[in-house]
Amino acid sequence: MSGSLPAEVPVPPAAAAPGIEKVRITEHEQLADGIWRLLLQAPRCAATILPGQFVHLRITRADDHVLRRPFSVHRVRGRCIEILYQVVGRGTGLLSALPVGEERMDIVGPLGKGWQIPTHAKSLLLVGGGLGAAPLGMLAEQLASQGRHVEVALGGASADRLIALELFRRLADRVEVATDDGSLGHQGFVTVLAERMLAEAGFDAVFCCGPEPMQRLVARHAKTLGVPCQASLERLMACGIGACFSCIVPTRSGQMRACVDGPVFDAEEVCWGDS
Amino acid sequence: MADGEGCEATSAGPEVTDEGMNLNVDLKVKIGDLDLKNPVMPASGTFASGRQFADFLDLNRLGAIVTKGVSLEPWPGNECPRIAETSGGMLNSIGLQNPGVEAFCIGDLWWLSKNAPDAPVIVNVVAHSAEGYPEVIKRLEREPSVAAYELNISCPNVDAGGMAFGVDCTSAAEVVSLCRAVTNRTLIVKLSPNVTDITRIARSVEAAGADGISLINTLLGMSVDAHTRRPRLARVVGGLSGPAIKPVALRMVWQVANAVAIPVIGMGGITSAEDAVEFLIAGATAVGIGTANFTDPRAMMQILDGLGEWCKTHSVSVTDLIGSLSLEA
Ligand SMILES: Cc1cc2nc3c(=O)[nH]c(=O)nc-3n(C[C@H](O)[C@H](O)[C@H](O)COP(=O)(O)OP(=O)(O)OC[C@H]3O[C@@H](n4cnc5c(N)ncnc54)[C@H](O)[C@@H]3O)c2cc1C
Ligand SMILES: Cc1cc2nc3c(=O)[nH]c(=O)nc-3n(C[C@H](O)[C@H](O)[C@H](O)COP(=O)(O)O)c2cc1C
Ligand code: FES
Repeated sequence: MSGSLPAEVPVPPAAAAPGIEKVRITEHEQLADGIWRLLLQAPRCAATILPGQFVHLRITRADDHVLRRPFSVHRVRGRCIEILYQVVGRGTGLLSALPVGEERMDIVGPLGKGWQIPTHAKSLLLVGGGLGAAPLGMLAEQLASQGRHVEVALGGASADRLIALELFRRLADRVEVATDDGSLGHQGFVTVLAERMLAEAGFDAVFCCGPEPMQRLVARHAKTLGVPCQASLERLMACGIGACFSCIVPTRSGQMRACVDGPVFDAEEVCWGDS
Repeated sequence: MADGEGCEATSAGPEVTDEGMNLNVDLKVKIGDLDLKNPVMPASGTFASGRQFADFLDLNRLGAIVTKGVSLEPWPGNECPRIAETSGGMLNSIGLQNPGVEAFCIGDLWWLSKNAPDAPVIVNVVAHSAEGYPEVIKRLEREPSVAAYELNISCPNVDAGGMAFGVDCTSAAEVVSLCRAVTNRTLIVKLSPNVTDITRIARSVEAAGADGISLINTLLGMSVDAHTRRPRLARVVGGLSGPAIKPVALRMVWQVANAVAIPVIGMGGITSAEDAVEFLIAGATAVGIGTANFTDPRAMMQILDGLGEWCKTHSVSVTDLIGSLSLEA
């Protein structure tokens, strides 16, 4: 099969086996209220992770905190992986207080099945809502480096919470934004932008991540126009490696595990909740 | 826990029982007809069949591999969310999702026979009715790579069967007798802690022909989100596991070990070698590691290595530790 590919399109590498790796915080800064950027030195993971995969982070060794926390890798920078996260509870709260130089955390990763880039896709739409933009970073970098046409629809509560906007502006051919408060771009939902952009141009594929109702809508718009859509779904995860069946996503092919069969799914396969 | 009072001079037999280390310690134990090279094994349902953990640890070093619950037909499991983290533990209501015994035999069991030939396989068996248990076993009897069965009569997450059998002496004994009639392999019965007197159930299953008892399964619990007023599990209630349940598990292991003559596999909140030693001292012959596998997929290797170190430092064998609780002041 590889013989028939255009020369400039690399064959997608196979996912590397996951490992456990001690990590060291090399950068840690607050981007907006409750939104943080974390840079972790993790050479093994950095060298092998694919766009859309995630890591399972052990934030503390305290006995009262038994589960790891799953985070997408936004970008790889040399020997480091960059994570963008929002403080929503105890784990992310503890994480946000950790200083640069901290080296007691470890990750299990790289984990899961990431974005599947259709070999011949020329023009792609990326749709991110809130922190859902995080797993689209590496993807945008890869698509841009392959010379494909990339457009991005980005949504958030307000202008300062549109994470990774600069990165997408640098990499993409076109970026449209939507904010809940109208502080930047379209006032309202990013799904409205996505629907409009889908109708305007002939995309070969859509990649989306964000709150599930948003993803369901984007998937529906894409389906109406016959554009294949991939969605990255979040589930509560205990093991992260496919052993415990905590993270079930109902699909047309049966019950799948978000941690190994996803987190990225073909949106048409997913049995979306009450849609 | 008391510090090491082992006498330095009398060292245990100069036996090398573990490939991964050369500590000259005897970790061997016996459950029914089953000789185990060491007492460390996964707790059912936290390790699938081990395949997913092969990237992190050497399956062949485990004392045994205990599989996830296997039923006759495929079971779909419960609605999500199926888990919730709690202080020092977690709740789960997975609901024994599994592809059924046939798929298990041609899938995971076959894989284990090729990739972990040195670890005896203990299959955790589940059913919705007492008659259903021996049906699963009959199919597994045709598989030479099965070493023993663990009858799960204690799962709190299914409506019919599961824990219902494990909280009543008569029905617990009935399940065991029906299974005893169809197999000569080692039969372990997994008990529920959700009972008023664990020793009565333990004695009934022993009398019905069990070769060993494993405990504890999860404690029935619940978690509520105050902000949304909703339960954190779709099924509202689920099973509590992890360090939070260790004192309850230790107490029950101690009570049961004193009530029956058959060996006990102790589990509930074990995260370190010292935890494992505590269970052995309380009377367990072997230990199961559950939730700790999620925190660290290498946990069982660390516990196994740590147990070897412990025995070496204290000049004891594992059998010396079993039931060695000192009640003197
Ligand atoms: C594949 C994947 C990738 C993710 N990537 C990112 C990311 O790049 N940036 C980011 O900010 N967040 C991401 N999340 C969500 C992130 O895992 C949760 O926000 C985080 O676990 C919350 O932990 P907590 O202790 O602060 O919250 P608490 O609510 O106190 O956590 C309680 C339990 O619920 C789990 N939990 C809570 N919210 C979520 C959630 N949305 N998804 C999964 N588990 C959850 C926790 O892991 C923990 O087990 C991702 C989730 C998944 C499944
Ligand atoms: C996610 C999960 C799934 C489980 N599934 C099973 C199962 O299929 N059969 C069973 O007998 N016990 C099952 N258990 C119970 C464990 O085997 C064990 O008895 C319990 O978790 C206590 O040990 P721990 O505190 O080390 O986890 C499960 C526990 C968890 C956390
Ligand atoms: S988190 Fe355990 S199977 Fe997905």
